[in-house]
Amino acid sequence: MVITYSYAEIKYDFEHTNISDIDRLIKLANRAEKNDIYKKKSEKSLKIAVLGTNSLQYVCKLLRLFVTFKCGIHADIYQGEYDGIANTILDESSELYSFLPDVVILTSTIDDIRKFPNLLSSNAEVEDVLKNNIDYYRLLWEKLSKTGAHVFQANFVTPPISQLGNLEANYIFSKTSFINKLNLEIIRQKTNRVTILDFDSLASILGKKKWFDYSSYFLYKQGFCFDFLGDVCNLICSQIAAFAGMTKKCLILDLDNTLWGGIVGDDGFEGIQLDPNNAVGEAYRFFQKYVLELKNRGILLAVCSKNDTDIAKEPFLKNKSMLLKLDDIACFKANWDDKATNIMRIAKELNIGLDSLVFFDDNPAEREIVKTNLPEVLVIDVPEDPAHYAYVLDSVHAFDWLQIAKEDLSRNSSYVSKEARAELESTFVNYDEYLKALDMSAEIGYLDRKQIPRFSQLINKTNQFNLRTQRYSESAIAAFLENEDYRLIYVELSDKFSDYGIIASVILKKNKDECFIDTWLMSCRILKRGVEDLVFNFIVETAEELNCNKIVGEHIPTQKNSMVRNLYTDYGFRRTDTGEMYVINTAEAKKRDTLIRIKTTEEKILDGNN
Amino acid sequence: METIKKLQDIFRDVFDDEEMEISRKMSPDDHDDWDSLTHIQLIIAVERKFNVKFSTEDMMMLKNVGEFVDLIDSKRN
Repeated sequence: MVITYSYAEIKYDFEHTNISDIDRLIKLANRAEKNDIYKKKSEKSLKIAVLGTNSLQYVCKLLRLFVTFKCGIHADIYQGEYDGIANTILDESSELYSFLPDVVILTSTIDDIRKFPNLLSSNAEVEDVLKNNIDYYRLLWEKLSKTGAHVFQANFVTPPISQLGNLEANYIFSKTSFINKLNLEIIRQKTNRVTILDFDSLASILGKKKWFDYSSYFLYKQGFCFDFLGDVCNLICSQIAAFAGMTKKCLILDLDNTLWGGIVGDDGFEGIQLDPNNAVGEAYRFFQKYVLELKNRGILLAVCSKNDTDIAKEPFLKNKSMLLKLDDIACFKANWDDKATNIMRIAKELNIGLDSLVFFDDNPAEREIVKTNLPEVLVIDVPEDPAHYAYVLDSVHAFDWLQIAKEDLSRNSSYVSKEARAELESTFVNYDEYLKALDMSAEIGYLDRKQIPRFSQLINKTNQFNLRTQRYSESAIAAFLENEDYRLIYVELSDKFSDYGIIASVILKKNKDECFIDTWLMSCRILKRGVEDLVFNFIVETAEELNCNKIVGEHIPTQKNSMVRNLYTDYGFRRTDTGEMYVINTAEAKKRDTLIRIKTTEEKILDGNN
Repeated sequence: METIKKLQDIFRDVFDDEEMEISRKMSPDDHDDWDSLTHIQLIIAVERKFNVKFSTEDMMMLKNVGEFVDLIDSKRN
């Protein structure tokens, strides 16, 4: 008897399957294949090519399952031949190129390393062999750049058996030392379009003894142990999600028995368990330290606790063992309302989507309520022992981004100064007066190569103020910069309280006498300030400079960008009959006044380069 | 439980077919879905559920269910 399974059923099963239950995952993948589940289209679609030194059948099978049910991305997967990396990439007529991948995954193993140094080689000889290997990868990256795809390349996993035994760690010419050196050199030499997948770290964490389970290795030639398929696919999937702009941006934390031991309402701010001389206290402090490091790299922190606000804040202000301070928290919600409601408030205040939130709460009942009511929020399966909190949170790979930029490091503080701004705003009755008091200044101009990472980050992460939600890799953006028909525009904003860095990205394309707005997006942090007027004025000036007598815009509606559906009509564009296209004659476009001061050239020089 | 009955449960699980019946004579030729991939899955499931370990040589030799049952029994004793 053949049983049929629906998308929803498989999704539910997937979400309740442990990542190490490979049998079940394979079963679900087979069900998805047999029931044509993968034919279902979704908003995001990606073509993923998987190449490797080893057998890729199961990797592709499970990767498709993860990408579909974890990320909601419709994936088209090209499975490379066994040991086909060089053949497939170097042959421009291979199917890889006609497949037109968006993403290429390279899972090479140490069997792929062309040459190792001879024993007793000098440092110079080792460097030569290194260069030889790097040249090979440079060639692969160069060939792959023709596809415009982003490359995710696994680093090399050092094996648990070795030629020299303990001596491997004592000589630069040993195979193990060379593998480590090669891994580091690849970081140095890789192009912007290459992201490394840290297989070496994953294998270490899971156990290299098992990763290289040799009898199975020879039998099914996958390159790593079957039992780790779930973890490997989860890692690849989290990076693909980041590439698709689906990043988590904020960690919401409970307080009692999450950030400290005990209940502050009962024990008082001095009675909570954070004693550095006590094992339990140390465990909570360790977790706070980890969370603080997340904040320092650009992840927003929020608190969601069932407590009176003042009582909840006391430890932050008065307990000397607290590592987190109130200033580290971008949004603090402590009250007696249910947590789902509070989490929605947090999302609204921080102006980010529910699907960018991660929720960490020791109480399983609270977690269940959030899971049920807010399925887009990632709820962490918090373990019993606080000593394991940091590890479990880390192992989920919730915050794997594609890159970090300068703006990330100061993100949290700009939200904190938001409170200061809110206070300022409350003293003004007239919104314009408030905007004036903010003393905003901006730099708007054509993009410079150095700014590409942040420009690209904005393009790939912004969902709300985003007209066409086109995602471009850094290499694609670099290509636009070289193209005379394109103009790439950035806006940097500062106000009295903060320096926001680049907060708007615009890409214009000249099509004969039409200036087409390919991309127009802005960070949600600075909405309702008049930045869009600044951008519009500059677009008009650029269209004039390009001798375009028409400016054309398009709105591609998504679930998240309804806020811009009337943007072009507001600026006086006419809607055309064909879909969501808007046109205005350049000569008729009216520039707007803004309360944002444009920085003079002297000021720009004083501020220095990015 | 008899080895072949327990093995049948494993086959039913791997092939995702609750009504599958196996016999000693059954081999990969008899079943469309029994390819090298499912073969590996079967071996891994058997190792885990019977708590035995097969050598590389063992795994290469299995031609049908009967040989599988005999091999498992030999490991258990």
